[in-house]
Amino acid sequence: METLNFLLQGFAVALTPENLMFAAIGAILGTIIGALPGLGPANGVAILIPLAFSLGLPASSALILLTSVYAGAMYGGRISSILLNIPGDEPAMMTCLDGYPMALKGKAAEALAISAIASFIGSLLATVGLVILAPVLAKFALRFGPAEYFALFTLAFATLGGITGKNQVKTVVAACLGLMIATVGVDITTGNQRYTYNILELYEGVDFIIAIVGLFAISELLFFIEMHAGEGFKKVALNKLKLSMKDIIQVLPTSLRGSVLGFIAGVLPGAGASLGSFLSYTMEKKVVGKNGNFGEGDPRGVAAPEAGNNAAANGALVPMLTLGVPGSGTTAVLLAMLISLNIQPGPMLFTQNAELVWGVIAALFVGNLILLLLNIPMIGIFVKLLSIPPKYLMPVVTLVASVGIFAISNSPLDLYFMIGFGLMGYLLRKLHIPLVPVILGMLLGPEMEKSLRHALTLSDGDWTILWSSGLSVGIWVVAITGLVLPYIIGPVLRRRMAAAQDKEHSIVD
Amino acid sequence: MIGDRILGVVLLLLAVVYGWEAAMFPEPFGGSEAVGPETFPLLLSVILGLSSIYLLVRPDQDEEWPHLKMLAELGFVLLVLAIFTLMLQPVGFIPATTLMVSVLCWRMGAKPLPSIFTGAGSAIVVYVLFNFLLELHLPAGLLKLNGG
Repeated sequence: METLNFLLQGFAVALTPENLMFAAIGAILGTIIGALPGLGPANGVAILIPLAFSLGLPASSALILLTSVYAGAMYGGRISSILLNIPGDEPAMMTCLDGYPMALKGKAAEALAISAIASFIGSLLATVGLVILAPVLAKFALRFGPAEYFALFTLAFATLGGITGKNQVKTVVAACLGLMIATVGVDITTGNQRYTYNILELYEGVDFIIAIVGLFAISELLFFIEMHAGEGFKKVALNKLKLSMKDIIQVLPTSLRGSVLGFIAGVLPGAGASLGSFLSYTMEKKVVGKNGNFGEGDPRGVAAPEAGNNAAANGALVPMLTLGVPGSGTTAVLLAMLISLNIQPGPMLFTQNAELVWGVIAALFVGNLILLLLNIPMIGIFVKLLSIPPKYLMPVVTLVASVGIFAISNSPLDLYFMIGFGLMGYLLRKLHIPLVPVILGMLLGPEMEKSLRHALTLSDGDWTILWSSGLSVGIWVVAITGLVLPYIIGPVLRRRMAAAQDKEHSIVD
Repeated sequence: MIGDRILGVVLLLLAVVYGWEAAMFPEPFGGSEAVGPETFPLLLSVILGLSSIYLLVRPDQDEEWPHLKMLAELGFVLLVLAIFTLMLQPVGFIPATTLMVSVLCWRMGAKPLPSIFTGAGSAIVVYVLFNFLLELHLPAGLLKLNGG
């Protein structure tokens, strides 16, 4: 009952004309970003954060704008998967399997419509799940002390590589780099200068918004030039939509199953949207059995991964909002936004900033409705965007990112930092060092160090305090499992995902 | 292989220097305690040190690195971004942006004329949008007409 009241208050925040406008703008921009090949939700949110910042939006509007971009990008990802066979990001990969064959058979419009409906169901159910689960988890997390928090932060890094992650040591390296950057600046407790080398600009530490834009957006530009300079994409033509009620009913149970699986995958630390869409697709194939023609353009093969990845995307917001521990790259970027707005995520968020949290959750419902309305009748407009060659688009995207950074503080130095992080991002990606732990390290570093010092002060320097309660031992066990498990089941999962992809390619080629 | 080995050496050096500096932090006012500003950095330097040794011993397969010409190309792109930053305040947003976007379009394979159109067009649109609609003032530079 209490939750319902809060939710109603949330709708009061989300339905103000300005916030409604921000949700709509976010949904449109997000869809465009998601639809463009090569740009995923994490890049999209990263590019728009500085803009939201320089506009000086109030916290709730800024968050509504960016969560709508996030949701929109998850929707948009399927457009390039279906029409170009190029997934915008990893979770959209599974949608290519049946989406592109459907498009080749002249059913592109149907594939897009079905995926929009499945995305809607996935997001909607996951948002309901978020409403139910988040307050419970937040209440539970109130029992956490500094030792538990330190263990929890370690858990966030340990599982970040995900079950499909390749080299866990590289995740550890990335996390260390991020945490090391976080130690730059004046130490809050003692006032000591650390790694500032008397450079005034470093006293307050390195701004992670700049780091995010550099690491994601600028390195993406460099990769783009290296991979497909000058090259255009060949697009499948869009037919007139012929979707019957029967087609929708056929994919309904699929979408429901996919949503539940996706949500669970999203909530679990480290699993994320890629696993959500993969699990949904594989399960659907098992459930349907011989009656399906998966891989050759089965509508259920489009609905399952789309419901799964959109549900997972919203599910990932659960640990982000309640524990301050993001489950995916994009939620890490959203977390950066929260921290920059001086809002400390974690269990207290639901009591101290109730209006904000519930406003954002209500905006997710609103945003999804907007997205569904946008994505069925207006899909043609988004599809047209795919014909803009990237050689014009990427420079303009780079411009938007740089202007946003510059407008925050009007300091050219920030832009030089951004360029530096861009180079670093390029080198790290080339060496298969994941970027998300770097960002997460920068974000969580100060809090992580604070809980470590707090815990050790309480115990007079006795390190065993870190694993002295049942709860903290439990978290450590999960963390260690998360770090070791990928070595055992990672190769199997990766092989299966690759096998699914190969089968698809052999049909297309 | 070689990529990860170089990375391992660089990271090991970083871990040592970073840890060394942490150990050299001046003692905080009021005497040293069990945990100080150096505890967390020292912990990080140990973890990074161990990880970099692992990378040295068991490196991954190398990613294909771009050939020299492409590296020069990417370096050029970073240079263009730096020149844009340098020009921004003294010369102004519109010329700096026109140059940056046009050169990037051109380097990505567009023909010169459409590149310049894209550059100038996006510069003017963003400038108008920021200065008049969003009221965020981008540097006018040499184009400043009325002292405002």
